[in-house]
Amino acid sequence: MVLRIKILSGFFILALMLSIAGFWSIKELRSIGTSVQNLLDENYKSINSAKVMLEALEREDSGILLLMLGKWEEGRKIISAGDSLFQLGYNIASSNITIENEKSYIEEISKDYFLYKQTWERPIVGTDREGNITWYFDKPHKQFMSVKESVNKLMNLNDKTMFDTASELQNRANRAVMPGIVAIIAAVIFSLIFTYFINYFMISPIVKITNSVTAFVTEGKNYNVEIESKDEISRLSDSIRTLCEFVKTAERKN
Amino acid sequence: MRPRIVIRYVGMVLIINAIALLIAAAVSLYYGDSSFSTLLYSSLISASFGFFPLIFVPAVSHLTNDEGILIVISSWILISLIGALPFVLWGGEFTFTNAWFESVSGFTTTGSSILNNIEALPMGLLFWRSLTHWLGGLGIIIFVLSLLPSMGMSGLVLIRNEMSPLARNNFRANAKNTLRILLIVYVGLTVLETVALKICGMSVFDAVTHSFATIATGGFSTKNLSIAHFNSVAVESVIMVFMIFSGIHFGILFMTLIGSKLILFKSTVVHYYVAALLIGTFISAYDIYGHYSSSWWEALRFASFQVISLGTSTGFANADSSVWPALSKVILMFFALQCACAGSTSGGIKVDRFVLLWKDIIRQLRLLRHPNAIIPVRLDGEKIEDSVVSQSVLYIVVYLTVIFAASTVLIALGVEVVPSISGTIATMGNVGPGLSYVGSTGNFSQIPDAGKWILTGTMLLGRLEIYGLLIFLLPKSWIPRNTTNAIYK
Repeated sequence: MVLRIKILSGFFILALMLSIAGFWSIKELRSIGTSVQNLLDENYKSINSAKVMLEALEREDSGILLLMLGKWEEGRKIISAGDSLFQLGYNIASSNITIENEKSYIEEISKDYFLYKQTWERPIVGTDREGNITWYFDKPHKQFMSVKESVNKLMNLNDKTMFDTASELQNRANRAVMPGIVAIIAAVIFSLIFTYFINYFMISPIVKITNSVTAFVTEGKNYNVEIESKDEISRLSDSIRTLCEFVKTAERKN
Repeated sequence: MRPRIVIRYVGMVLIINAIALLIAAAVSLYYGDSSFSTLLYSSLISASFGFFPLIFVPAVSHLTNDEGILIVISSWILISLIGALPFVLWGGEFTFTNAWFESVSGFTTTGSSILNNIEALPMGLLFWRSLTHWLGGLGIIIFVLSLLPSMGMSGLVLIRNEMSPLARNNFRANAKNTLRILLIVYVGLTVLETVALKICGMSVFDAVTHSFATIATGGFSTKNLSIAHFNSVAVESVIMVFMIFSGIHFGILFMTLIGSKLILFKSTVVHYYVAALLIGTFISAYDIYGHYSSSWWEALRFASFQVISLGTSTGFANADSSVWPALSKVILMFFALQCACAGSTSGGIKVDRFVLLWKDIIRQLRLLRHPNAIIPVRLDGEKIEDSVVSQSVLYIVVYLTVIFAASTVLIALGVEVVPSISGTIATMGNVGPGLSYVGSTGNFSQIPDAGKWILTGTMLLGRLEIYGLLIFLLPKSWIPRNTTNAIYK
C-alpha cells in the first residue's frame, strides 16, 4: 500500500473518531434541551391544570354548602365561578395529552365531573335538600371525592412521568459526555500506535537507508538495509541497492 | 518480541469484534431502542483499531511462543475493554468498573452480573451481552482463526496458546480441521437449541440469546429471574440437555455425531462427568425435598437444573439455591470448582483433571503396597505421561491457591466470607452465581469496585487457565528479543 494512503488513513480515522463523537455529543445535548422543554411544556402544564381543577372543585363544594345553608345567591355565584375554573383546567388537560393512558384518565374525570355536576345543578334552596346533611354526604360529597381522586390520578401520572424524564436526563447527560471522553482516550491511544508505526515503518528505515548510503560512500561498506513493508520506502531501498551495485561494478571496471 | 506483529493479530480479533458489535447495532435498530448509537460507535472504534495495523504491518508466517501468548492475552483484555464501551456509553447502572465487569464476565462466559434490573436494558445491549458469551465461548482467537483463511504456522502457535492443553488430546485432526469441527459443533448446537426453545414457546429474541448463553456455558439471561422467569419445564429441559452437551469435548461430540466413533459412550471422562451430575442431582434433591420443594418431582426439577447449570459452568437458575440447605450448597460449590470436560466451552478445573487426580491417588495407594512397581496412569486404555498427571495436579493446587488469595483480599475489602469465597469460586470457574447475595437470583453490585476488579482478574485467570495470564504479567515477556529470522510473506 502506498505511503500516502497509509498516512492519510491514520488521520482520517482520527478525524472520524473525533467528529462522530462530537456530533453525537451535540445530538445528545440537543435532546437534553428538548427533554427539558417537554418536561415543562407537557408534564408541568398538566400538573398545573390538575391543580386548577382541584381548586375549582373545592370552590364548588363550598358553594354547595352555602346553598344548603339557604344562601342561594352567594352559593350559585361561587359554584358558577368554580365550574368555569374547572372547565378551564379541564380544557388545558384534555388538549395536552402526551402520556400513554392519559386520555383514559381525562375521560374518567369528565365522567365523574358530569355526575358531580348533576348533584348541584338541580335546586337545593327551598327543597328537602336544604340543611340535609345526610343527602350532602350521600350524594355531592361522595361525588366530589370521586372527581378529586380522578384529578389526583392524572396529577400523579404526570408527576411520575416528570420524575422518570428527570432521571432519564441524567442518563442523557452521561451519554452526551461519554462519547467525548471515549473519543479522546481512543484518539490518544490511536495516535501513539500511529506514531509507533510512522517511526518503525517510515522514519527508522529512512535513517537506516541514510546511514547505509553514508557508510557506502565514506567507508565503501555494502549497502545492506532490509525493509519489512512493501511500499515506496522498500522500492527506494531496492533502487539505492541497485545504484550502489551499479556504482561498485563501474568502480571495479575503472 | 515484535510489538507490531502482536498489534496486527490483535487487530484481526478487533475486526471480528467490530462485526459482532455491528450485528448488535442492527438488532438495536430493528427494535428501535436507545442503544443503537452506542453500539455503532463502539463498532467504529473497534474497526478503526482493527483495520489500521493491517494497513501498516505485513503478515508473517511465523510467530514465537511469547508473541502467541501476548496476542491471546492482549486480545482477551482488549475485546473486554471495547466490549465494555457500549455499556459505558449507554449509562444506567454501568459505571466504568461495572461495564468492565459485565464485559469480562460476558467474554469469559462467566455470566456474573452487576445489574439489579436486567430487563431495563434495551434489546440491543441485551443481545450484545449474549453475543459476548457466544464469541468468548469458543475462544475469541479460535473464532477468528476459524473464520479467516489459513495462517499457517502462525495459526498453530495461536491455537496452542488459546486452547487448553487437555483439550487438544481428543482432536485427532490437523489444525484447520480442528477449527472446522469446533465451529460446526458450536454453530450446530446453537441453531438446534434456538429452534428447540422457539418450539417451547420462547420469543425468537429470547431463544437466540439464551442459546448463545447456553452453548457458550455463559449464563447471561435477558430476564431478572433468569430461567425461573419462564417457569416452563419444557424450556428448562431443553436448556439442561444443551448445557450437558456443551460441557462435553467438542471433538468427541463431533466424532459421535458423524458416527465414525462412539467414544462418547466409551470415554471415562464423559462417564465420570455424567455420573457426577446424576449423583449431585439426587443428593441435592434429597436435601431440598420437604424444605424448599413440596414434591419429589419439584425437588428433582430444581436440583437437576441447578446442579447441571453449575456443573457445566453455565450459571442459569430456575430457583434460588442460595437459600438451600448447607449440603446442597457444598455440592453446588464442588461442581462450581470442577465444572465440565476439557475441549468444551466450560470453565473450572475440569473433569479431566479430576479424573487424573483420582487415578493418581489410586496409583499412589497402590505404590504404597508395591513400592517398586511401575504403575502408569491410564485413561481409556492409553498411558498418560507422568508429566501430564503432575501438571494437572499442580494446576489444581495453583487454582485453589488463587481462589484462597482472591477470597482473602475480598474479605479484607470488607466483603462477607460466604460471598467472597463463593463469588471467587464462581468467577474463577467462569460459572457465574455464587452463594448469598451473589447467588443465583442475586448479583455482584454490592461488591466494592476494587473487589470487582479482582473478580474480573480471576475470571480471566480461569478462562486462560492461569499460566497464560501469569506469563503475560512477567516483565520478561515484554523484553524485545531478536527475531530477525522471522520470514515475511
